[in-house]
Amino acid sequence: MTALRAPEQRDFPSRLHHPHVAARIGAWLGICFLVAFVTGVISHLAQQPDSWLPSRPVWGYRVTQGVHVAAGTACVPLLLVKLWTVYPRFWIRPPRPSRELLLHAAERTSIGVLVAAAIFQLATGLANVTTWYPWSFSFRPTHFAVAWVVVGALVLHIAVKLPIVRAAFARPDVDEPPGEGLTRRGLVRIAGVASVAAVLLTAGGAVPWLRRVSVFAPRSGDGPQGIPINKSARAARVTASATDPAYRLVVTYGDRSVSLAREELLAMRQQTSGLPIACVEGWSAHGDWTGVRLRDLLDLVEAPTGAAVKVTSLQQRGAFKVTHLPGQFADDDLTLLALGLDGESLSIDHGYPARLIAPNRPGVLQTKWVARLEVEA
Amino acid sequence: MIARIGIAVVGVAFAAYGAWLLLAEDLADLVDAAVWLGAGVVLHDFVLVPLTLALGWLVSRLVPAGLRPRAAAGLVVLGTLTVLAIPVIGRFGERPDNPTILDRGYTAGWLLVVVVVLVVVGVSEVARRRRRPR
Repeated sequence: MTALRAPEQRDFPSRLHHPHVAARIGAWLGICFLVAFVTGVISHLAQQPDSWLPSRPVWGYRVTQGVHVAAGTACVPLLLVKLWTVYPRFWIRPPRPSRELLLHAAERTSIGVLVAAAIFQLATGLANVTTWYPWSFSFRPTHFAVAWVVVGALVLHIAVKLPIVRAAFARPDVDEPPGEGLTRRGLVRIAGVASVAAVLLTAGGAVPWLRRVSVFAPRSGDGPQGIPINKSARAARVTASATDPAYRLVVTYGDRSVSLAREELLAMRQQTSGLPIACVEGWSAHGDWTGVRLRDLLDLVEAPTGAAVKVTSLQQRGAFKVTHLPGQFADDDLTLLALGLDGESLSIDHGYPARLIAPNRPGVLQTKWVARLEVEA
Repeated sequence: MIARIGIAVVGVAFAAYGAWLLLAEDLADLVDAAVWLGAGVVLHDFVLVPLTLALGWLVSRLVPAGLRPRAAAGLVVLGTLTVLAIPVIGRFGERPDNPTILDRGYTAGWLLVVVVVLVVVGVSEVARRRRRPR
């Protein structure tokens, strides 16, 4: 019997533990992380109270956030295969001379940061799209901060490995040693297949024609009036206040103020806007919303164009009880205080008696059960 | 070399900005985030990797040599997709007041994925044997 010892790199003889595989899967992984980063920054900007993003294209946030979640999902198989490919390097013994030891320790640290941050981003993102929050930190700022860490560590990793990556791409994969099992090219291909399958199996919440295929989609895309919901009226504790006949929408600007019952809102000029509701969780759905153009309401109090509006919900608590609607959205011709959806009166879970719906906006900012519109001076 | 150093500096700057953003959080949140950062690595290195190594060893023992590439390919797809499906199969985010979240039969969906992978592996193995009869 041999004595137990820590494994070394040579204890993993598979030909798949090779830069040819690591560089190729790494390139795809890098692209997916970068796409998720860029679309994530867009989502972060869109959620700023004073967002300067335009209100067009109408489907903008639907696409960027759908792509964000899809790119992150595509990373899961790629990251797992990539980590397996380079796993033997985990057991490399540190070198003896002190200067090299320092460099070695620095590289190992940066790899540790990269791996921890990458797993963190994918795990928290995957949990978040199923509305599972098994942590106490606030998801959005933390996911945003760690995104910079991942991309930074990734760029550093590319700088360190550039000669190896170049060599791996320069020589075509013809010198593959004989052996049993998967070939190197085979592993790269099957990682790609798994990655595409991961996207197809989850994207049905955003891409209607994938609904039947997406058996892992956290939402089938169905719900009251054909659209899913994030926060129910019960969870927001608005069932009583939203159905109270004494409900009045209050619109204010400086010392001007009007108060309108739902019947009075229905008596105003009605407009139908076909707009998507697109959530940070990546799901989205198109709805034909009917209601009063927001600009018409702002005109009742003679609000100037370009003014931002503070929108307050009937809900008693929660991060999105009060939202801030920048001027470019308030003035957009398509932006509505919606009273109906797909030809019916708005269901209570979609925000009865009245909800905000604007183009190119994150779903959490499409305030439901609107009680007050305050034009900011 | 200068280009590489330039790229590395950009990377360090990005990561430093992320760390600075993280440090702006409350201490309790920061500790929780640090626990999650560490837990992911620990789960991967000490649970997922041993499982994968054990599975690889089993395949090398139990699966005939000719079938091994396809078996390995099938397991790569199945294994990674199973990890991906843990949050939906576990239904941890389910809410009694909101039937529009997690509204599919995810265990049945996973079994369907298993069947599809098995069929694809089986069909391509049969095709390989027909091409190269012994």
